[in-house]
Amino acid sequence: MKTPALTLNGISKIYPGTVALDRVSFEVYPGEVHGLIGKNGAGKSTLVGILAGLIEPTEGTISLGGRSFRTLSRVRAKREGVAIVPQEPELILDLSVAENLFLGELPSRKGLLDRKTMRTLAEEVLSAYGTGINAGLLAGDLSLSERQLLLILKSCVVEDAPIVVLDESSAPLSGRDALILRKIVEDLRSRGKAIVYISHHIDELLEICDRMTVLRDGKAVAVRERASLDHASLSELIIGEESSLTGGRSEDTPTPGEEILRVEGLSRWGAFGDISFSLRRGEILGLAGLRGSGRTELLKALAGIDPADEGEIFLRGNSVRFRSPAEALAEGIAYLPEEREKEGLLRSFSIRDNLLLNSFGNVCGGRFISWEKSEERALAVFREVRVKAFSIHQGVDELSGGNRQKVVIGRIMANSPEIYLLDEPTRGVDIGAKKAILSIVSERIRNGAGVIITSPGLDDLIEVCDRILVLSKGGIFREYERKDFSEHRLFLDMQGFGQQERRGGRECQAV
Amino acid sequence: MSGSLKLRLALLDNIIWMMLIAFFSVCALSIPAFATWTNLVNFLYHTTIMSMLVLAQGFVLMSGNLDLSIDAVLAFAPGVAVLMSVKWFPGLLGSPWTAIVLTLSIGALLGLFNGFCVARLGMNAFMQTLSVSIILRGLVLFFIPLSIFPLDPVYSFIGKARIAQLGNIPAAIPVTFFIFFIFHVLINYTVFGRNYLATGGNARASFVAGINTNRMIILGFMVAGILSAIAGMLTAGRQDSVSNTMGNGMTLLAFAGALLGGTSMSGGKGSAFGMLGGAILLGMFSNALNLLGVKVTLIHAAQGTLIFLAILVDRFRVSLRSSMLRKEQIRTLHREEDRGAEYTVGKPREESV
Repeated sequence: MKTPALTLNGISKIYPGTVALDRVSFEVYPGEVHGLIGKNGAGKSTLVGILAGLIEPTEGTISLGGRSFRTLSRVRAKREGVAIVPQEPELILDLSVAENLFLGELPSRKGLLDRKTMRTLAEEVLSAYGTGINAGLLAGDLSLSERQLLLILKSCVVEDAPIVVLDESSAPLSGRDALILRKIVEDLRSRGKAIVYISHHIDELLEICDRMTVLRDGKAVAVRERASLDHASLSELIIGEESSLTGGRSEDTPTPGEEILRVEGLSRWGAFGDISFSLRRGEILGLAGLRGSGRTELLKALAGIDPADEGEIFLRGNSVRFRSPAEALAEGIAYLPEEREKEGLLRSFSIRDNLLLNSFGNVCGGRFISWEKSEERALAVFREVRVKAFSIHQGVDELSGGNRQKVVIGRIMANSPEIYLLDEPTRGVDIGAKKAILSIVSERIRNGAGVIITSPGLDDLIEVCDRILVLSKGGIFREYERKDFSEHRLFLDMQGFGQQERRGGRECQAV
Repeated sequence: MSGSLKLRLALLDNIIWMMLIAFFSVCALSIPAFATWTNLVNFLYHTTIMSMLVLAQGFVLMSGNLDLSIDAVLAFAPGVAVLMSVKWFPGLLGSPWTAIVLTLSIGALLGLFNGFCVARLGMNAFMQTLSVSIILRGLVLFFIPLSIFPLDPVYSFIGKARIAQLGNIPAAIPVTFFIFFIFHVLINYTVFGRNYLATGGNARASFVAGINTNRMIILGFMVAGILSAIAGMLTAGRQDSVSNTMGNGMTLLAFAGALLGGTSMSGGKGSAFGMLGGAILLGMFSNALNLLGVKVTLIHAAQGTLIFLAILVDRFRVSLRSSMLRKEQIRTLHREEDRGAEYTVGKPREESV
């Protein structure tokens, strides 16, 4: 038997309060495509971080080509021949495709950049797989899919490392580019490279991989040959048999009131297409979907941030069209951004000023601010969302992630909107804050308002939602009532087997 | 929060005034002619023009932008307004009151243009206002090869007149203080002020939160334009003429005053009183050096050093402030633990009563 190119031996990573990885072991052989799959929070990203040398494991060893390491640094990982294709396209948009491709080891002669050689080499690489990308273009001129492809080529072909880690690389790829990725992977395999292939899509893994490791709650629950797996058995491994997360809790859920929001045939080019649903007062509607399914884009369209191209939104029966968040807010729609630090918080403002960011006018009833009233309102909200801080005059920088999120949630509550659009309210917060946030959603926010919520994990949605819409490839795949919730079926539906790509409306599709 | 902590925080947040008082005391003790009524009125009078520009620059900085054209607007707005009033359309716009309205409108329009280009067309504020600044300077030289004088007394009132009822101080001083007071209210006690600061703190988050950030940025530039036009009227009034070199090179010093006063280049911070303090410190500094007989060229270098020190103090202040707050936080936590209570803020919760 061949010696493995990469061996993980009892790798654990313990963060204060949580075990992210629990004695994970597997090995990848040269010429093998090894799949890695698991739910959100199963430990995939931690594992990738360890392989990339960004995270230091608490325990265990990593063997690369016969040499053993306790930990890898970024430099060492690179030197020992581990190439990583990251999730986010990290390109220098003002440099050309060729320069990006060879960045770090630009061909040169006596210190002078050798443009001719670089161009020829780049064209060779690009045409070898039929990408159709012009080497002379600026990286900024490429589509998202092409940028991702460029990164894949850089890590897989140009760096020519013996071990390649592809971290959900297919997510932003268009249909044609996904085929090119497949071709690249086939080629790497035939050249004897060891490939770790991470994806959320079951059928993609089943098609490409030779073997698979399934992660669940930080443990490697199975390492299986491709031949011994099919859709059903693999998804069972991913979710686990003891899963008790099903809907239909006996507790009395308040009966939802009248319809406050209806969406008909909403489409945004390149993001989602032909979305129709309705929301009633007092109802919590979940949007389940993988990264790239269009859930965030849909919420942003409803909030007026990136408006839809086609379709109609009816608010309390009247057709509305928002071109900016300000217009949506005036009609009582509040959006909780997915990216808390970038789109949610003002670091130069205190907790109080963040809480009242867009509600000073409402609270004080005019153009002038009454600090007394503002203070009172801020304190009320502060207590309602239970931020752990000693004063509302503290800066938000001094708070933990979970408490920062509570501040942002408090802010959108301060305006008492009628419709809440919560984009991943539990992302990146610890378990305690997560519970607190979910109870705020199900006990406080839903009173008198309608809620649409997305989440990185299904369990959150199953816990709080009255209804769940499963989004896949930009369209609504199926709708579940609370009594029919089942993690297993939701998970399979999120994969969207047999679902057509739906991005943009009929008109756009013709383009 | 304990009383002494509050006091220390207040002192830190108004560090520019602490520096001002310290500097004033030193000068008053060591320079005989410094702390006299005439000298104080004199240097405040000299500071009024710069303080308008500091406020203009500081206000734009608060929204996270910058404006290099303020000193060009200072010359252009009164220049063109007076030309229109006395030379081009004397019949139609002859009144000095129209000239004043024209001056302010030209300032506002130039600001609107800058703001529109930056907010709507997405131009870089540095390059946009640099180009406008060069254009305006050129036009001023073209239109006013020599200077225009004398000016109507109504037009030159705020720059030249003295008020007998107020100890014969120049009108410019109360006008300046009044404007700063208005801005203090605007920034701290209006919804607009909050939205404006928020835009500078994090434009994307403010936009997502439903603030019309483009309007905030455009209004900021317009306000800067109007303030620069007022500074222009103060300058023209003082010399009783409009000349093409008015305000030359004052933009960068206005940055210095605004930074001294606690605004930040990255936006989202700033107070009217802080900027007033910054402007006065700049003026007081050169006044003191003047009285000591230091050469003008050296005064510039000394002002540069002052700015460097201000930036240094500001860095120090930020870290001092957060360490004070952290210590207080730890103390509070310990106290709460001792009592075994949950966190409470302000008045005790009603349930626990």
